[in-house]
Amino acid sequence: MPIVFKRNRAVFQGGAGVEEAEGLLEWLQKRPTAKADLSACNHLHTANLQVLMTAKTGISSWPEDIELRAWLEPALKAGE
Amino acid sequence: MNPLLVQFLSESRDFSQDIGQKLLQMEDAPSDQGLINELFRLVHTLKGNSGLFTFPEMTRVLHAGEDLLGMVRDGRIAYSRELADRLLNAIDFVMELCADIESTERIDASRAKDAARMTESLRGLMPAVECEAPASARINAAAATAEEMPTLAELPGATREELLRHCRAGEALNWISYAPVHDCFFQGDDPFFCARQTPGLLWGGARPSEALPSLAELDTYRCVLEFHLVTSASREELDEHFRYVTEQVRIVAVNPQWLELTESNHADPHCIAGRSVIANAPAQTAPSSGAGEAWRERTAAINAIFAAQQQILMLDDHPDWRAGRIRAVGAVLVNLARSAGDQVAASEIQAALTECLSTGRNSLLLLWLETSKAHLIASLSGASAPLSTNPAATRSNGSEEAPPASEVGPAQSTPGDGIKFGRRAEDSSAGPRNLKVDQAKIDRLMNLIGELVVSKNALPYLAQRAETQFGVRELSREIKGEYSVINRIADEMQDAIMQVRMMTVSSIFQRFPRLVRDISRKLGKEVQLVLEDEQTEADKNIIESLADPLIHIVRNSLDHGLETPEIRRARGKPETGTLTIRAAQQADRVVIEIIDDGKGIDPAVIKQKAYEKGLIDESTLERIDDREAINLIFAAGLSTAAVISDLSGRGVGMDVVRSAVEKINGTVVIHSELGMGTTIRISLPLSMAVTQVMIVESDGQLFGIPMDNVVETVRVPKRELRKIKQSLAAVLRGRIVPLKSLNTMLGISATPLANSDDELAVLLVQAGGEILGLLVDGFRETIGLIQKPLSGFLSGLSAYSGSALMGDGSVLMILNIREIV
Repeated sequence: MPIVFKRNRAVFQGGAGVEEAEGLLEWLQKRPTAKADLSACNHLHTANLQVLMTAKTGISSWPEDIELRAWLEPALKAGE
Repeated sequence: MNPLLVQFLSESRDFSQDIGQKLLQMEDAPSDQGLINELFRLVHTLKGNSGLFTFPEMTRVLHAGEDLLGMVRDGRIAYSRELADRLLNAIDFVMELCADIESTERIDASRAKDAARMTESLRGLMPAVECEAPASARINAAAATAEEMPTLAELPGATREELLRHCRAGEALNWISYAPVHDCFFQGDDPFFCARQTPGLLWGGARPSEALPSLAELDTYRCVLEFHLVTSASREELDEHFRYVTEQVRIVAVNPQWLELTESNHADPHCIAGRSVIANAPAQTAPSSGAGEAWRERTAAINAIFAAQQQILMLDDHPDWRAGRIRAVGAVLVNLARSAGDQVAASEIQAALTECLSTGRNSLLLLWLETSKAHLIASLSGASAPLSTNPAATRSNGSEEAPPASEVGPAQSTPGDGIKFGRRAEDSSAGPRNLKVDQAKIDRLMNLIGELVVSKNALPYLAQRAETQFGVRELSREIKGEYSVINRIADEMQDAIMQVRMMTVSSIFQRFPRLVRDISRKLGKEVQLVLEDEQTEADKNIIESLADPLIHIVRNSLDHGLETPEIRRARGKPETGTLTIRAAQQADRVVIEIIDDGKGIDPAVIKQKAYEKGLIDESTLERIDDREAINLIFAAGLSTAAVISDLSGRGVGMDVVRSAVEKINGTVVIHSELGMGTTIRISLPLSMAVTQVMIVESDGQLFGIPMDNVVETVRVPKRELRKIKQSLAAVLRGRIVPLKSLNTMLGISATPLANSDDELAVLLVQAGGEILGLLVDGFRETIGLIQKPLSGFLSGLSAYSGSALMGDGSVLMILNIREIV
């Protein structure tokens, strides 16, 4: 599973495809305070990215992939 | 080259030609609905085909053409000469692309720009509503320079410095705005991924392209993000990278000054001293080119220095720092004046500086800058330059000389331009190298060469007659000489025509991956399909008649042969079964093997079944060995599967396989090891055209026997014949071979003739896996001939498989061994 949903934390692993976005959105709609753990994430599809940006999801840990982090940090922090 | 691609190219050429023709016909009959429908269909098909490959440029142009024709068809726009011209142009362009693909197997990224212009020119003919998208793109492109500044300004200071460093190192940076269309996810795009993969990426950012909806209203499948990138990659690389989304991407060459400018807006003002700042840089779009370039750059730099000094003087934040600033500005200006050799200005500045420092106000220096800097700039820029003291004027001058060449394609062309692409009708182009020929024509050629081979065989007879009948030895030798020449040419010709008819087995192999996948899914089995030596060639007819038997065999192997993963595991085999289909050429035959590592065939079960169904009698049941028993599965009406499925198990299949293979003079044998797997081996002639036959003599008549059936020829002394019950037999090479007289089988009453040593001629033939000795009167030569099936009244004679014409004009009957034994 590219995204594992813990109690209040969505843990991303590897690459999250477009098909994950719907589930992520529904899950976040129910848990507005949920955080995302991106440490093991190496890519997320644009659809997932825009869900995270819209939901202004807090990030509990940033990707270890420095290049991805450089992309995500400004985009997701801007929403906070 | 991939065979699919080869076919695509050959079809595209045909289509393009048809489209061209139809367009010309339309000129005479512009309202012919049938023609326009046909045209639309052609373009539509061609577009669809191009979509199979990664040729977005071609697809895009054809798509525009299709839309345009769609409108003509629906009567929304009228057919016009202009329209035909542009479509013809588009088709020429497609042909050019085809030529590109043919030589390099890809379309060069530089074509993307042409494709965009082509598309634009086609869409330009459509009513305004339809071409809304490109129009807005045009506006965007025009407004590009005004728009990108904020984005660059948003960059964090460190990033900008980094980028600036790249610029100063002489790298040409490109700024990219990538605004994906909203429904791009449905096209399988991941814009973020695409953006991340951009070559030479230095910086990138994602931001919403419109106000983000609330979380409850967000549509996951509608892309609302856009991406901005700065990269050091060349324009060509970028065109290549974004070739699928050309319309969604804007690429602008970065002017280093933008980076510097934005710094003044956001960075700490204290850091800007000494850095050049240009107040209205956006007006200076693309880097200018030409002779005046160096001069312009110099002027711009000097202007920037002065502007910076002015700005520093205007700063009014920390009164304590003012003195230091004034001193710094003064030092810069004095140095400038000195480097211009203007001692008057230097002393002026020095005086103003001293005054300013004593009063703690900067007004005097500012005043000097306002009034006297123009003079200093002029002397700094050099006398030869066509200097205008007004920086703005300088710039507008510059941009006139160097139009912004860096904008994306669509912006440049207006619909009325009537863009033309290189090729014209009269330009010669390399013609297609493939011919599509009706099979009937090849068949005719084949028949003719067959006749030639036969009539050529008449020459040795003629030579013989010349010698024996007319006693002209010399002539006989010459005829033989000529014969050998004709023989060689005819052989080569035959070979050449055979080559034309050759196809690779891959044409039937390629359907197996899908078949195996579907069937194994249905059966819940794990199967790995291995195809080997797909490039093996054989005659088209052979290949085609092989398709059905092979499918039968593969289905059988999957259904009966390979076990389910559970059983395989229990038996200690890997869970995934392997099915290998292998082709190989062996001398003049093609051998195809279908090998599975399944459970194999139990000969005992087969024997029992065959006995139960009455296919073999009790004595055969006792007699036959395992190998023969396994080959019983080719007998009609035998099914080993306990349960009849929709795949196999209805007792038809293997016998159909055998008859299909035998019809084309092939043989099929099966080897199986219980628990280890089964191998089915089909051996086929490379070509059906020429059959090698052995000629035998019996009761004064000649008969042909296909060499496929012949095992060997032996002479057996009469005393070694044994009589077992009613039939004759002999022991040959340690095994008992039943002997039959050919005369008896054909209903001729004569007995076989023995030679002077009282030996009988025995032709060992194999039929259906059994070896049998045919008693004949004598052996003749082996020849290759074209076999003709018996027709009319004779076609009912199953003892003969056909007839052939001999070189001396006589007719040779070819025996069908399987039928007569």
